[in-house]
Amino acid sequence: MNDMTPTREQREAKLEGMGCKRKRVEDIRFTQGRGQYVDDVKLPGMLHGDFVRSPYAHARVKSINTEKALKVPGVLAVITAETLKTVNLAWMPTLAGDVQMVLADGKVLFQNQEVAFVVATDRYTADDGINAVEVEYEQLEPQIDPFTAMDPGAPVLREDLTGKNTGAHGPRKHHNHIFEWTVGDKDLTDAAFRKADVTIKEMISYHRTHPSPLETCQSLCSFDKIKGELTIYGTFQAPHVVRTVVALIAKIPEHKIHVIAPDIGGGFGNKVGVYPGYVCSAVASIVTGKPVKWVEDRIENLTSTSFARDYHMTTEIAATKEGKVTGLRVHVLADHGAFDACADPSKWPAGFMNIVTGSYDFPVAHLAVDGVYTNKAPGGVAYRCSFRVTEAAYCIERAMDILAQKLGMDPAELRLKNFIKAEQFPYQSALGWEYDSGDYHTAMKQMMEKVDYAGLRKEQAEKREAFRRGETREIMGLGVSFFTEIVGAGPSKNCDILGIAMFDSCEIRLHPTGSGVARVGTKSQGQGHETTWAQIIATEIGIPADDITVEEGNTDTAPYGLGTYGSRSTPVAGAAIAMAARKIKAKAQMIAAYKLEVHEDDLEWDIDGFRVKGLPEKVLGMKDICWIAYNAPPPGMEPGLEAVSYYDPPNMTYPFGAYLCVMDIDVDTGVYKVRRFYALDDCGTRINPMIIEGQVHGGLTEAFAIAMGQEIRYDDTGNVMSGSFVDFFIPTAVETPKWETDFTVTPSPHHPIGAKGVGESPNVGGVPCFSNAVNDAFSFLGSTHIQMPHDYWRNWQAAKALGVVG
Amino acid sequence: MDMTGTERIEAPIGTVWLALNDAEILRQAIPGCETLDKSSDTEMAATVVLRIGPIKARFEGAVELINLNPPHSYTIQGEGKGGIAGFAKGGADVSLAEDGPDATILSYTVKADVGGKIAQLGGRLIDSTARKLATQFFNNFGEKLRSPTLAPES
Repeated sequence: MNDMTPTREQREAKLEGMGCKRKRVEDIRFTQGRGQYVDDVKLPGMLHGDFVRSPYAHARVKSINTEKALKVPGVLAVITAETLKTVNLAWMPTLAGDVQMVLADGKVLFQNQEVAFVVATDRYTADDGINAVEVEYEQLEPQIDPFTAMDPGAPVLREDLTGKNTGAHGPRKHHNHIFEWTVGDKDLTDAAFRKADVTIKEMISYHRTHPSPLETCQSLCSFDKIKGELTIYGTFQAPHVVRTVVALIAKIPEHKIHVIAPDIGGGFGNKVGVYPGYVCSAVASIVTGKPVKWVEDRIENLTSTSFARDYHMTTEIAATKEGKVTGLRVHVLADHGAFDACADPSKWPAGFMNIVTGSYDFPVAHLAVDGVYTNKAPGGVAYRCSFRVTEAAYCIERAMDILAQKLGMDPAELRLKNFIKAEQFPYQSALGWEYDSGDYHTAMKQMMEKVDYAGLRKEQAEKREAFRRGETREIMGLGVSFFTEIVGAGPSKNCDILGIAMFDSCEIRLHPTGSGVARVGTKSQGQGHETTWAQIIATEIGIPADDITVEEGNTDTAPYGLGTYGSRSTPVAGAAIAMAARKIKAKAQMIAAYKLEVHEDDLEWDIDGFRVKGLPEKVLGMKDICWIAYNAPPPGMEPGLEAVSYYDPPNMTYPFGAYLCVMDIDVDTGVYKVRRFYALDDCGTRINPMIIEGQVHGGLTEAFAIAMGQEIRYDDTGNVMSGSFVDFFIPTAVETPKWETDFTVTPSPHHPIGAKGVGESPNVGGVPCFSNAVNDAFSFLGSTHIQMPHDYWRNWQAAKALGVVG
Repeated sequence: MDMTGTERIEAPIGTVWLALNDAEILRQAIPGCETLDKSSDTEMAATVVLRIGPIKARFEGAVELINLNPPHSYTIQGEGKGGIAGFAKGGADVSLAEDGPDATILSYTVKADVGGKIAQLGGRLIDSTARKLATQFFNNFGEKLRSPTLAPES
């Protein structure tokens, strides 16, 4: 070995494989403003479409007069439900088994609902056209409050469902009822409550909010009449699903539909569903024969495309007087808005809400969810969380604090007492999940040690005394949260979307000179897949990450996949990538054995190639193997070096984490300061620690927004009161606290590389952590539960209600 | 939106009552009112330009007088549509009481709903804007009554 031979460390470093803080390759174009988003795509002769929207939350549409609009110079078409009926597209199926109006058909059911689509030569002209469309409405009584939606006299919202006593998820109890979903053993749970020493009951609301990605939803459709082909550029988190759904509802053969999701400026669940804008831009392109672009503005995004949460969770815990939990009973009133357009796997009308037993060993539990229609925008997407998991985590983490308060126990101690123990994994939960792996006690204790939990509690006790003595007007809260996520949908045995099984895929093609391309069925919206996917391949097959191009989002080239949401990319596609790489490696090993003239079993893998066991100088690197694979393969072997893997995971993965927030609140103004926020995440094997940290920062910032102010608020007539960033809280660097991150590593036993997914954990764990901090601050004044969001005004209201502010 | 108030107007109750039924005086008093045409003794059609926060729109609507109890009280109600800016509808109970022979106390209770973009974008400004508009209206209205050329014949 001469001096020029790279050391093992140098060879390893060159790969920039798993565990490397590799810089994000996509940032080279993003930081230079060279990303290519849908609105950057400009096709010759392109037209622009925009919507006439309803000012009413509930009204009958008596007439739509488009005559004046069509006379506006530059307006080419005005599409209404009547137009869409000619192609059977006035209504479309939702992902949740309901149907949704594409354009108002007889009625409008939420404010800003799409009524007509005006197509013009440019966006400004389209707006002029919108102003000229005359719509006559007859206002109807709106149903805004979900708690009264099933009252006997509540207005009928969905006249199309008259007489339908059964929906996609079973019987309907009322004209505004969508479904009831129950899981768990009710009798055993009721029995546990009868026997309990201590019980708590609280209605814990998780308010309506919105993913609000910086890039709004948009599409550009181009129909080629000669070829009969439809090309759709769009902000799609799941491009292949869009292709299949379009094929099914528009009756265009699937091979004649080309879906391209270019760079996406954030999704957070908002870009999973199918929106009227997509359908109308496609129909408009077919009608006009020209490409038609639709781009939402901010108000449209916040008020009409998928919201998140709006779960009202009546939560009860039964426990012994020593603080051992013995039962959990939860009833959820789920406000789905005007149409049930939740983006959940089809069999799960309330997503994975049955992860609500959290990180605790509940022997029995029962969950019931009632979904109701109201005159609000449809949605209910997983905003930076797996399906309804952040609702579940908020529910159980608040309830555990309330129980601790009732027992007079420290909330961290109560959690430690009830955690599922490391030796209980794989753990079967009372509500039906098999948790793959975890070590909760270690994570919790590491958190408590790092933040000096005991010291903080002591300081809090002193501050409370000082407050009582009138020496300070500031109260201190310690928010503890310990969450278990359930991600990686998912096993096709229980997860599908409209019958499409939720596997994922990867195709790797290595080139003769030792570089290659990997195409994956997921779609990055900022997660950094181009960086991390290449790292998995680098470690698996010894080709440097820099020599692998990662492509996603073009359905003509990428293998069929279910896209990116619910932290499913790494658990599902990450596994497909590793498995495809291993197929390549297996072929490479045959080639190496042939070239090195040994049996395959005599070879061992060594960073970037194979070597003969016991003969370290007899090596063949992957780069050389690539050349040989194409140009001199062993006799009888097909040339080439590529592989495809479709991966259907055997189980979900269960990331977890221990978070702590230290918050100070001035009772006279309600102003809070987040003094400290510590987040320990265990996402199993860590592919790129820098990207993980970035994901945690982003997720915590969104959690902070949601818990501390972000809300889609309606007044009692159905006006959206937070339809712009003036009223809808988006934290900037000014408001955002400093984040401290930490980790433990408990690999997933069933995942090829042991990775679990991390992008959404911080939102799941962060929201209860902030809320627990606020509630903990006020608890010594006699408060049990204060509803989110905890903005300054509400904190001040809470202080007033507790009588500490005059 | 709810709003109540009282105003003292330097005019006899009969004069105030007639003014409250006089389309021309109302037109001049209502801030932003472009047209106000009586189609009967109790029905009018109005065009009003309104600005709330970032939204400026022309509202067209019908106004109706009901519960007439001359010269003591009536209810004025209506609905205006501002196209994509949204809509406003509501009413005001207006009552008059003599405050000596030359002055009248006017009390009003307004209930109104606004919807659409004006409610979304102007939500936090609606109450203050409404109060400002009411003040402007009564200033204008009082002024018209003091001006002999415009005062209705009693």
